[in-house]
Parts: sequence; C-alpha cells; structure tokens
Amino acid sequence: MEPLIRVEGLCKDYRLVDRREGVSGGLKDLVRPRRRLLRAVDDVSFTIEPGEMVGYIGANGAGKSTTIKMLTGILTPSAGTVEVGGLVPWRQRQQYTRHIGVVFGQRTQLWWDLAVVESFRLLKKIYEVDDATYERQMALFDELLETGKLLSQPVRKLSLGQRMRCDLAAALLHRPRVLFLDEPTIGLDVVAKENIRGFLRDIRQRDGVTVILTTHDLGDIEQLCRRVIIIDQGRVHFDGELADLRRRVGQTVSLSVELREPAGSDELAAATGALPVAWEAASGLRHVARFNRAEVRAAEVIRLVVNDRQVQDLHLAEQPIEHVVREIYRQAAAGGGA
Amino acid sequence: MSAGTIGPGALLAPWRRTPLATLGLYGHFVRLAFLKFLAYRLRYYTGVVSYTVFVAGHYYLYLALYAGRAAEGLPAQIGGLTVREMVTYVAVSWIGRSLYFNNISRDLARMVTEGEIAMHLIKPFHLQSVMMAEAVGEAGFRLLMFTLPIMVVVAPLFGVGAPVDAAALGWTLVSFTLSLVIYSQLGFLVGCLAFVMKNIQGVLRAQMVGMDFLTGVIVPFTFFPGWFQSVVAWLPFQCIGYVPVMIYLGKRQGADLAQGLLLQVGWALVLGVAARLVWRRATRRLTVQGG
Repeated sequence: MEPLIRVEGLCKDYRLVDRREGVSGGLKDLVRPRRRLLRAVDDVSFTIEPGEMVGYIGANGAGKSTTIKMLTGILTPSAGTVEVGGLVPWRQRQQYTRHIGVVFGQRTQLWWDLAVVESFRLLKKIYEVDDATYERQMALFDELLETGKLLSQPVRKLSLGQRMRCDLAAALLHRPRVLFLDEPTIGLDVVAKENIRGFLRDIRQRDGVTVILTTHDLGDIEQLCRRVIIIDQGRVHFDGELADLRRRVGQTVSLSVELREPAGSDELAAATGALPVAWEAASGLRHVARFNRAEVRAAEVIRLVVNDRQVQDLHLAEQPIEHVVREIYRQAAAGGGA
Repeated sequence: MSAGTIGPGALLAPWRRTPLATLGLYGHFVRLAFLKFLAYRLRYYTGVVSYTVFVAGHYYLYLALYAGRAAEGLPAQIGGLTVREMVTYVAVSWIGRSLYFNNISRDLARMVTEGEIAMHLIKPFHLQSVMMAEAVGEAGFRLLMFTLPIMVVVAPLFGVGAPVDAAALGWTLVSFTLSLVIYSQLGFLVGCLAFVMKNIQGVLRAQMVGMDFLTGVIVPFTFFPGWFQSVVAWLPFQCIGYVPVMIYLGKRQGADLAQGLLLQVGWALVLGVAARLVWRRATRRLTVQGG
C-alpha cells in the first residue's frame, strides 16, 4: 500500500536566544541576538500507511512533540521533508489542516468562554461539515464518549476528563484522515483513560483513520498500537512492532509466587536449581522470579516451585513496556542504537 | 461522508473554501465575538462612568483655558477651534475611542507567549482574518452596549455640538469604521512582536499610552507646533482619532474630506498587508513555547 505519511531526514534546530532583559534588551535582541543551536529532532525518517496506529514515544525533551508539531504544520523543519497525502503541512497549511485532527492533551481547542456546542457549531463551519454528517458524528460521540450532556456547559466548567472527551470529539468531527494525539490521557484517572482508549479503538475500526500517538503512558501504547517508534535525543532508536521490541530487548518475564508459609528466596532458588532464574523477596510471603522466556519455560519453573512448596497464588507477567523502553535507551546511550 | 475528506488512494483531496463559505465562516466569528462580549457586558457599565469622567476632566480644563484667554483679551479660538468645538472635539474623540478600542495586540501577544497559537495553526483558517472578524463583532457589541450609552450621557451633559450636517455625520461613521480597521491591524502587528520579544509587556503598555496621545484623543494636534504636526501627518495614528473627529466638526469637507478618507483606506491596506507579511514570516520560523 502507498504510504500516507512520508517523513525523510527531518531535522529541527531551535535557535535558543540568550535574551537580554527589558524593552531595550528586546530591541538589542532584534538587532543582534545572542544565539545558540539545539537540535531537537535529528534526521528522523519513517513512513506510515493508511489506517496504521503508531505510538511515538520518548522521554521528556526527546523530540516527540517537536516532530508532531512539524507533522501538523505548526513548525517549519530546519531540514528534511514531510509529505502527508501529497501535501506539505507547513506550506499548504489551510488545505492540509482540513484533513487532520489534532489533540494536544495539555491544551484545548474548544472556545473557552462558550458552551461546548458552540465550539462544535463553529468547527462545523470551519471544516464545512454537512448537516447529515454533523448529526451522525454528534450521535456517535454521544454514544461512545457520552458528550451529549456536556454540550450545554461552558468549556471552563468541564473536568479534565470531560474536556478531553469533548476535545477528542472536536478533533474528529470532520472525519479527518489523520489524527495526531499528543499525550491524550495525561492527567486522567484510570477509568477515564480506559474510556478514551476504548473510543480510539472503536473510531479507528469505523473510520480507518490513521493515528499517531505520543504518550508518556505506555499503557496507551500497549493497548492501542502494534507499531512503535522510539525517539531519544532527537533520533529514532526503534521503529517496528511492539512484539519485536520485546523480542529485541529480551523476553524477560516475572513470576510472582505467594507461599503459604514463610521461606527465604535462597530456598526457592535452590528449588529451581540449575535453571537461570533470579529470585527476589517481594513483600511478606511473596517472591518474584525473573527469567528469560527464550531460555526457561515458565511451566518448568512453576512445576519445580509447586513440588517444593505449598503455594497459595501464582501470577505470571510480561516485562512492563517501561522496562523495554528503558532498555532501548540504555542501549542507545551505550552506542548500540538502531 | 463529508465532502472532500476522502481522496483517492493515499492522497488528500484538494480543497478550497468558496468565497461565500469564507464570508459565512468569518461572519460566524463576528457573531461569536458579539455573544462573548455580551456575556461580559456588566464590565462595561463602569466603563461608561470612567469615559464620562475623562470627558468631564477635559471639559473643565478647556473651559478654564478659554475663559483665561478671554480675560486677557486674546482671540476666542485656539488652534482654529472655538470653545464649543473644542468640547465637541473631546467628547467625539472619546466616544469614537469607545467604539474602535480593542485588545488585539494584548490577546495575540498572550496567545504567542503561552503557546496557545498552536491551536489556531492547526485549523484551516487565517488567524488575522479571524481576529479582524472578532474585532468587528466586538465593535458591534461596543456600539450598542457602550458607545451609545456614553453618547446619551455625555452629549447633553457637556453640550456637545451637533454635526454640521447629515453628510458629515455619515462620513464620520464611515471614518470611525476605518479607524477600527486601522486600529485592529496595528494591534495585530504589535501583537506579532511577541514572536521575537520575550517580554512584550513594555511594548503593550507603551502602545496603550502612546496611542491615545498620537491619535489626538488626549490633545488635538492643532495645539502642537508645526513640525510635530507634520511628523504626525506621516503616521497612521492620526487616521484613527484625529481625522474622523475633524470630519465631524466640518473641518474636512470636499477634497479635504476625500483626502482624509483615502488616507485612512491607504493606511488600512498598508497595515493589513504588513501584518500579513509579518505573520507569515513569524509563523514560518515559529518556536512554540511551552512544549
């Protein structure tokens, strides 16, 4: 399939200006600013096909928001190209923004002083959404996000979760081809996060919208994205399937065991004998075993433990994605990056 | 399926807003701004009082000044204005200011420094046009809820002179409408300075104070020395305050009137185009603050 989004050699340098103070300082800065360069995005390339949902992750200041801002046409790159469906975001801004939806978790695109419904009516005009589509979309948002009862309220009176639901709806009213989500679940509680994730899965299935998602919350990625791009210090360090990422870092799993009677971790280690398993006491009667699935079968570890001890409860968990990403960062820092 | 969204294959369909739809969209912004200000109308009741106080202050100042001159046997005109014309000048200046005043420069500067500008750049519209439309909506609100009440209070209180004829009144209204355009474009241009300046508060404050002086609202230009008048004649500010008031007083008629209005149109265009160019340049090299 033809890619919808093509990013090639994308760079963004920020000219940091060491400012002088005050109005006269400002005027001096106009004439002769004291500048230094910071490369926030460094030679980033990738392509995204229609309908993909891609997680774009990185630590604070890794360059992910800057990339999103170039993809949405807010920022002009210092070098490189971006083409989305044949358009260059920052050059054909009016044409381009017609086709995209954007949610910045930290800001709202709703008109602060107005009732929510006024923002939707305005967006209907801005994007020239016809009446039938408008009605259908509003009904859909009410069904999936329960926005109906929020419509008459002024935006400034909404809770963060309510506002985020309305912002998502606002970004999708015109049925955009591409949806950019920058930290869409930031600051939300668990239930609100779940609602938003459920909505995103639904809407993607219905509309086939292409989604690029940046987040701190790796739960978002695990539940929504098959593909992830990891960026650190402006460079791409991994681009591929989430499953590959786990494989590449190693498939460490943790087995949590709760015993009926107290025992030392060394006793459990003795029970698993020659297997390469690291035991660690957790709390009270709980112990955690970590091992690589490629080397050790979980069933074997469980069998040995159950034969040796009275076991109350068992829990097997994949290594959380945080660890996986941290491992990628570590490899990158050690010069072993992609 | 909304028209134009889905293009063939992986291409985004070309799209352009028709002139009629453009008018409808920016008309919608006019309406929204009107409604927004209507919601905050209580704020403006106190404004009626402060404008009346401004005019009263000038009123008594000029009465004393003219009386003093009369006592010394000097001519009853200063800078070509009689005392009654002077009072009218002051009142009409402030009434006009109550109409064309807005906070575009401050609002735009805040959007830029707080990074809110990003939310406007991801929308298929032109922010300059949106802000102009909002200025029109705000002016509509001001006219009804602010300027008219001020007129009703100020005119009888200080014996403000009627316009010389109906045509003068009509041209004054046209002229103040152009003042609004010039004032707003200038405000947008000043607001754009926030793209290059870290602290724009000083500029905004200077604009607030300097504008009322340079537009001729505080003191009519005819009071100033010749060289100052010729400098001011080259600046856009006199087109905001001085020109419409002189039309009202009948001091600009015939060719003079046409010249005044043309000058206003000229400045409106020059500032509008300048603001558009500056905006373009600024957004091309934009650094959005706040992540």
